[in-house]
Parts: sequence; C-alpha cells; structure tokens
Amino acid sequence: MKVVVCTKQTPSTTAAITLNNDGSVSWEDAGGKPNILNPWDEYGVETGIRLKEDGKASDVIALTTGAPDDTVGLKTALAMGCTEAIIVADEAYAGVDTLGTARIMAAAINNIGDVSLAIFGRQINGDMGHTAVQTAVKLGWTPLTQVTAINEIDDDRIVVERAVDDGRETVEAPLPVVLSVSKEIYEPRYPSFMGIRKANRVKIPVWGNDELNLDDAGGSKVDWSDIYDIPAREGTVQMIDSDDMADAAKELVDSLFEEKVI
Amino acid sequence: MSAIWVWIENKNGEISSISKEVIGAARTIAEELGEDVVGIVLSDDVDAVAAAAFDLGVDEVMGSEDDTFAAFRVTAAGPTVAEMAKEEEPAVFLAGASVQGSEIAAWVAAECDAGLIADAIALEVDDEMVKATCLVYNGKLMATTFVTDGTQCITLRNRAFAPAESTGDDGDADLVDAVKTEDEIGAKVTGFASAGGGVSLNDANIIVSGGRGVAGAEGFAPVRELADVLGAAVGASRAAVDAGWIPYEHQVGQTGKVVAPDLYIAAGISGAIQHQAGMRGSKVIVAINKDADAPIFKIAQYGIAADLFDVLPALTEAFKERL
Ligand SMILES: Cc1cc2nc3c(=O)[nH]c(=O)nc-3n(C[C@H](O)[C@H](O)[C@H](O)COP(=O)(O)OP(=O)(O)OC[C@H]3O[C@@H](n4cnc5c(N)ncnc54)[C@H](O)[C@@H]3O)c2cc1C
Ligand SMILES: Nc1ncnc2c1ncn2[C@@H]1O[C@H](COP(=O)(O)O)[C@@H](O)[C@H]1O
Repeated sequence: MKVVVCTKQTPSTTAAITLNNDGSVSWEDAGGKPNILNPWDEYGVETGIRLKEDGKASDVIALTTGAPDDTVGLKTALAMGCTEAIIVADEAYAGVDTLGTARIMAAAINNIGDVSLAIFGRQINGDMGHTAVQTAVKLGWTPLTQVTAINEIDDDRIVVERAVDDGRETVEAPLPVVLSVSKEIYEPRYPSFMGIRKANRVKIPVWGNDELNLDDAGGSKVDWSDIYDIPAREGTVQMIDSDDMADAAKELVDSLFEEKVI
Repeated sequence: MSAIWVWIENKNGEISSISKEVIGAARTIAEELGEDVVGIVLSDDVDAVAAAAFDLGVDEVMGSEDDTFAAFRVTAAGPTVAEMAKEEEPAVFLAGASVQGSEIAAWVAAECDAGLIADAIALEVDDEMVKATCLVYNGKLMATTFVTDGTQCITLRNRAFAPAESTGDDGDADLVDAVKTEDEIGAKVTGFASAGGGVSLNDANIIVSGGRGVAGAEGFAPVRELADVLGAAVGASRAAVDAGWIPYEHQVGQTGKVVAPDLYIAAGISGAIQHQAGMRGSKVIVAINKDADAPIFKIAQYGIAADLFDVLPALTEAFKERL
C-alpha cells in the first residue's frame, strides 16, 4: 500500500518574526534554523513510518508544495524514515490559498498513482486543517480529520478513532481516505544520525505544472496583504503584594468581582 | 448573491454554543450588509432546531431532514450543503471554527470553489465586503483578510463573538432532500464516547491552568480545587502535559487548544510564546509565579509573585467566601 504524507516547511516556533516596511514578513532564528518541518506534520510522518514498520505500507512518500528550495521539512521527513520525497513547485502556483494547495496535493497524489492513504497534520498555524478536507473533496475520497488512533487497517478499509467536538468517535471507512492526525496518535521519533546523512544525499524531484497539468491551481481568493503587529494588551500588570497570602487573595478576588469577570 | 448563511451545529434538538455565537456575529453584519441571516440546519429532526434558530433571530431556516444527518458526518452533510450553496449562491457562509464547522466550511468552499478564511476573531463590514481579523504566523502577527470574489466562507473562533439572544420569533424551515444515501456515504460511525466530566476548555468562562511549577501530577490538586469552586476548566502548559502529569486534552497553546475565557489563571507557568499563543486572547489574565520576572507577568492584568501552593489554596478560600 502506498501512503503519501503531506508536509509543509514553516518558520521555526522560536523564530523572531519581523513585519517589514513594505508589508512583507521575514524571520530569523537565534538557533540558526529559521525553518522547520511544521510541528503538527511530525505526527503525520510518524504515522506513515509506523504503517511501514507494521508491514502495512510499502512506500511512505513525503509531499510538499512551496518554493523549489523549501526542502527542510522534506529532509526531516526523509531522515525520520519516509522512503521518498517530492516537492511541487511552479511559478504558476505562487501564493495559492488552502484550496489551491488542495488542488495541487490532489493532482500530485493522482500523479503518484495507486495511493491508498494521504496523511495530513492537524493544522499549520490556525488554518484548522482545511487542506485535508479540501484535498479529499478534490480527490473524491473520504476525509477523516483529528484522528487519534488507527485501530485497524487492511488493503481496503480503515477503522480510526477521532477527537470530535464533544467526545471521541470510532469511524470505519473504505480506502482510499485522507487522514489528518492529532498529537495523540504517536510520539514522533527524532531523526537518526544515519537518517540525516542519508536524507542529505537524496536529490528531491521537483514537479511543476508540466507534470500536474492543472489549469486552475494558481491564485488565491483570499487577500492576506494587510498584516500588522498585534496591538499590545492594554495596561500593565498590577502586582498584588503577597506578604499576607489571605489578604492578597482577598484583594485579587475583590478586584475580579469589581471588574465583573466573575 | 445574497444572504448570510450560518451553519448550525445541533445535537438532540439543541444548538451548540459556538453556533449561537456565529448567529450573533451574523446578526451584527447582517444589518450593515442589508442581508438576511439564513440558518442552515441538517438533522434527523429539524423542527426543534429550526424553532431554536428562529428564536435566536435568524430570518430563514433552510436545511434537510434525513437519518443520515443524525450524527454529523461531513461526507453526508457536505454534499447537501454544497448543492444548496451552488443553487442559492450565498454572499457569506459562516461556521464555527470547531472540528465540525471547519470541516463543513472546507467542504463547501472546495465544492463551490470559494475562498475560505479560518478562525476569525472579529468581523467588520467595509464597502459590502466582510473583513475578518485573524492571527497569523503562530499568533505572532495579525491580519485583516477578505475573500476577493464569490461566496465568502469564514470560520469564527470560539468565544470571540457574543452569542445571539432570544427574540421570541418563530417560523418554518424550508427543506431539501439529502444528496447522498447511506450507501454512498463513505464513513460509518461505529462508536462514540462523550468527553467525560468536567468543564471543557472550549466552553469555559474561566480556566485555571498549571505548568511545570505544580511539580507533579499531585500538584494539580490545588489547581483543580480552585477550578471546582469557580466552575472552571483545568488547563495546562505543554511542560506539564509532556511530563505526564495531565492528559493532552488540557494543553493550552500553539500545539494545544486556543482559548479565550473571561478569566485565565496561570499558576506555575512561565509564559513561553507558544503558551501565550493559546491564551493571550483571554479577557483577564492572572499570573501566579514564584519568579517576579517570568514573561507571563507581561501579559497579565494581575500578578502574585509567590509560591502557587500558598496562593491557590488562599484564592480557593477567598472565592468560597464570596460565591
Ligand atoms: C513546537 C513547539 C510547540 C509548543 N507548544 C506549546 C503549547 O501548545 N503550549 C505550551 O504551554 N507550551 C508549548 N511549547 C513549550 C513552551 O516553549 C514552553 O516550554 C512551555 O510552555 C513551558 O511550560 P511551563 O511554563 O509550564 O514551564 P517553565 O517554562 O519551566 O515554567 C515554570 C514556571 O513555574 C514557576 N514555578 C515553579 N515552581 C513554582 C511554585 N511552586 N509556585 C509558583 N511558581 C512556580 C517558575 O518560576 C517558572 O516560571 C511548545 C514548544 C515548541 C518547541
Ligand atoms: N504547502 C503544503 N504542502 C504540503 N502539505 C501542506 C501544505 N499546506 C498544508 N499542508 C498539509 O495540510 C495540513 C493542514 O494545513 P492547514 O489546512 O493549512 O491547517 C498540514 O499539516 C499539512 O499536512
């Protein structure tokens, strides 16, 4: 069974983000690694690799779309144990929204061919996993989001647990499916030293629109150009003197009642 | 193109709290846009939900009644709502940024080739266009975004909008047939366990959170005692979750839940940027930390620089006296 893991390179979580005068955004990281594999995608990569180790998956292919040199995430995925990586990059795809990303993912998955499972991370930073569902719609497959465990999987069906809004659900679906996995699924492994060395030697193939033949992937229906700093939280902290704890507690409680927070 | 559609999450005839907030948000922009609010209800029993939706001030209810909608499945609901949307071309489609709301919005936007904005914390109307404020770059920057053409699909963050209030209105739902039969729907739900006990982080007005400073699973006892007195949910930093002191469901932050309660009490939490990403939208933040220089004090309104094992029990007592 072929498994595709969709991953994205994102700014490091500790990166200092700068809003430039021209409205563009850049970032730097004191640790010298400004870009990383989207932390949520580590769980997707781990899930793919486990399926291989359990003898269920033959290939675990890491897939991304972005700029041609957005390979940090893919290298990490390879170093963790993915068998292959593919990057989709084409000028025609610049600045796509989630739906554009989904069209590209779906076309690439069709181009890979014979894929039974496409695994996504839960989210990037607040898009709440729209891409997984939208890729499923474009493929005509069943999306199963927020998966916390794979209970059973064979060549033509899967049974998973999902974290839904008010509890946990067990769902059964015929393959192929698109999964988005939550943090509870497995603890992602660290890439091994050998894995990192091997990954660094891999030449990652770049696919463009010549391979995917999309006539409508480009562009975005969402305008994201108006980016600004978060207004500071108003006021400064009021420290409550803690010499007598009962008094301090009473003072805080009184203030909270006065502010009608309680 | 007209009308503001609102996806109405429902279970056992009741509308979820996030959907009440979405109706509230829709009603505020409806006046400025001069459009009607249409509640979209899919259920195995639409009547009770429709009545509740009219009472919350929607102008119309459209939907579909079918056994396949008993428990929400996007593979059942998505195709039906997408077909309705292709037919009626709503100007705006709003849903909560819950698991369910995100799925239905993503599905409808994908089938209708519409633009989709996730997790808005504020909406405004500007020249007949809805503009949505969102956090971007891991909550480090903000953006005002809009959909450039076609239906504007937007999901709204939990607790960022005031819920709609009762109007006493009533009306009849306008129903269409379900698009998919049970056999055509890929996913079958074979089990369900409801989130056990306690107040959930998503719905909580008050959250009391513990971090590495609680120093062990037992250290959450004073956190829980305060939470119980306040009817609050219990949160945690990743350090506490990673240490195995409390399950992941409780984690607040960039890789946990994003919350915005009226009151967030952080005990023994330093206030790392990833933790802040999940809670800085709280109305009032109280920080309790031994270290007076901890970054959490920079975003708090009230701070007590002392040992949480002294402060929390004292607070519990002080609240007991007032409540
Ligand atoms: C990719 C990534 C994602 C992350 N996602 C999240 C996330 O979602 N949520 C999250 O919380 N973190 C997240 N983190 C981790 C984050 O960077 C911090 O490591 C974490 O928030 C620290 O937790 P803490 O504040 O409990 O621990 P510490 O930073 O160790 O702080 C403990 C604090 O407790 C105080 N203290 C100790 N004992 C007491 C006492 N008896 N009384 C009072 N105060 C006391 C100390 O002074 C200290 O300030 C993420 C990190 C990465 C790299
Ligand atoms: N450009 C991309 N390339 C590959 N995968 C992506 C890309 N964007 C999003 N994804 C996948 O979609 C998931 C959810 O992203 P989002 O819908 O943006 O929250 C991520 O965790 C990835 O698995």
